[in-house]
Amino acid sequence: MLRGNRELWLALLAMILITGVYGLVTVFTREIPPASELFGHGLGITGFTLMLMTETLYSLRKRSRSIKWGRMSNWLQFHIFTGLVGPYMVLFHTSWKFSGIAGVTTLLTVIIVISGFIGRYIFTRVPRTLDGLEIEGTLSQEALKQVRRLLALWHTIHIPIGIVLFVSAFVHIGGALYYATFLK
Amino acid sequence: MRSNRPGCLSGTGIAAALIAALVIAGYAYARGGLMFSPGPLNAQRDQTLSGVASHTEIGGECSTCHAAPWEAATMADRCVVCHQDIAAEMQDESSLHGTLMNNEPGLTCRECHPEHRGAEASITVMEDLSVFPHEAVGFSLNGHQLAAAREPFQCDDCHHDDITTFNLDTCAACHRQMDARYMTSHVLVFGTACLDCHDGVDRFDENFDHNVFAFQLTGQHVNVDCAACHINARSLGDFTATPPDCYSCHLQEDAHDGQFGRDCAACHNTAGWQGADFDHNLSNFPLTGAHVDVACESCHVNGLLQELSTDCVACHAEPEFHAGLFGTDCDACHATTAWTPAEFNGPHIFPLNHGGGATCATCHPASFTTYTCYGCHEHEEADIREEHLDEGIRDFENCLACHPSGQEPEDDNRDDND
Repeated sequence: MLRGNRELWLALLAMILITGVYGLVTVFTREIPPASELFGHGLGITGFTLMLMTETLYSLRKRSRSIKWGRMSNWLQFHIFTGLVGPYMVLFHTSWKFSGIAGVTTLLTVIIVISGFIGRYIFTRVPRTLDGLEIEGTLSQEALKQVRRLLALWHTIHIPIGIVLFVSAFVHIGGALYYATFLK
Repeated sequence: MRSNRPGCLSGTGIAAALIAALVIAGYAYARGGLMFSPGPLNAQRDQTLSGVASHTEIGGECSTCHAAPWEAATMADRCVVCHQDIAAEMQDESSLHGTLMNNEPGLTCRECHPEHRGAEASITVMEDLSVFPHEAVGFSLNGHQLAAAREPFQCDDCHHDDITTFNLDTCAACHRQMDARYMTSHVLVFGTACLDCHDGVDRFDENFDHNVFAFQLTGQHVNVDCAACHINARSLGDFTATPPDCYSCHLQEDAHDGQFGRDCAACHNTAGWQGADFDHNLSNFPLTGAHVDVACESCHVNGLLQELSTDCVACHAEPEFHAGLFGTDCDACHATTAWTPAEFNGPHIFPLNHGGGATCATCHPASFTTYTCYGCHEHEEADIREEHLDEGIRDFENCLACHPSGQEPEDDNRDDND
């Protein structure tokens, strides 16, 4: 199980570490780390960067024909790792306030992570090589067709949610810069 | 056939982005910048300013308080558009806001008056003493973090009636509970205007270290009462104005009646007046020979620091028996060990090697202006007389006239000299 889900275990480890640091900061500063101060801001910026990587790198690699950097299975593992750790950091950045556009962004983040889990479950129904190619003959034609249809449906939902999430996140970042970071 | 475009550029992706942007823009149009609000504004309704009774009423109108980053105006400028009474106070140094602005010009309104903390939350954050820049009102809370019960200080521990005023008796009342005896004597000596000296930055308790100042307390100074040197000190200025020279405090104790000058530390140290230690040999007149045991006052008749000439004659007048013949360059013949023996090295009209082993007194028994050749080996007066009379020389008293080098006979024409 450990070998098959290495990215999940690594993500869990990272999340435990982040939780520990967050707990220590909370205890030492005697307050929930505010989103606008060094630690809270750091969590938000780092988490969002990881989320951006989740969104872009795997997608670019998948569509890249000329440059074949790394195996697709590794990129998928990286996609899953950043897709879990990034949102987890963003969750701590909220300082547990979910109002306005920031709250909407958090909600969309939670949805996209759940959707990601569902997608991964469907994706792993089809046996593949390490380069992501389907291994034919292990599923019946009917079953394969059904899984492909399901995967296509999932893509149609997952991608727009991601897009809306990033639009919302960028508006939140713009608002934060305008109303807080560059505040005089 | 799989599309090679990234998902965000697919039809559904672009549509989702457009719809999201439209929804956000629509919301912004309808509700202003409310979606960026990190929390509700304060609902306190004390007075109506510029037609606004509370911040809640301008909840969606962000620009009322928030200036754009590219504008010259700051948030503080927006505050005083309505709060003109505070703007006037900031110019008045006798007021709290005036004092704060004067001492801490970089302070902004929102540091003490944060917003978006909820309708009922206090608009003024002074309960958290770590946030309020208390030193800007002239008294740091550095030494007042924990009260006697080890609990954090509360504002009303010191400001009983009104947060903007302070009764000076509060200091003494509280500190008397900590150490009544010390406070009684401290107030008696230094008065009750605590804030004139204490700014709260340092704790002047048993850990107070006077040695951080230029005047370090060593030796006997360690146990001296503060007020013994800081006489009638009533402010920090008085303390720092205490003169650091010895004589300002020790004038009455000068055993030398001022004749050795005022720089006591030239000879004494703080271990005590006894055991004065002055190394004369570091001066340009090292003491050797008989000078070692001479009392300081013998030379320094007008005080120890009197500048003296190092010429011997400044102290030692030429003795009469020199008859003015030897000059005042004493050390040409004398050493500091003693006046005698002296070794005459000057010009002498008669060969000094005559009659080897003779001292000055052999030839000059009475004075250096007279001499005699008698009393030495064959120069007995009777023999000389007889010898010269035999030769027909009657004037034989002035020996040198015929024997300038002490030899005989020296001149064949001695008869011509008769």
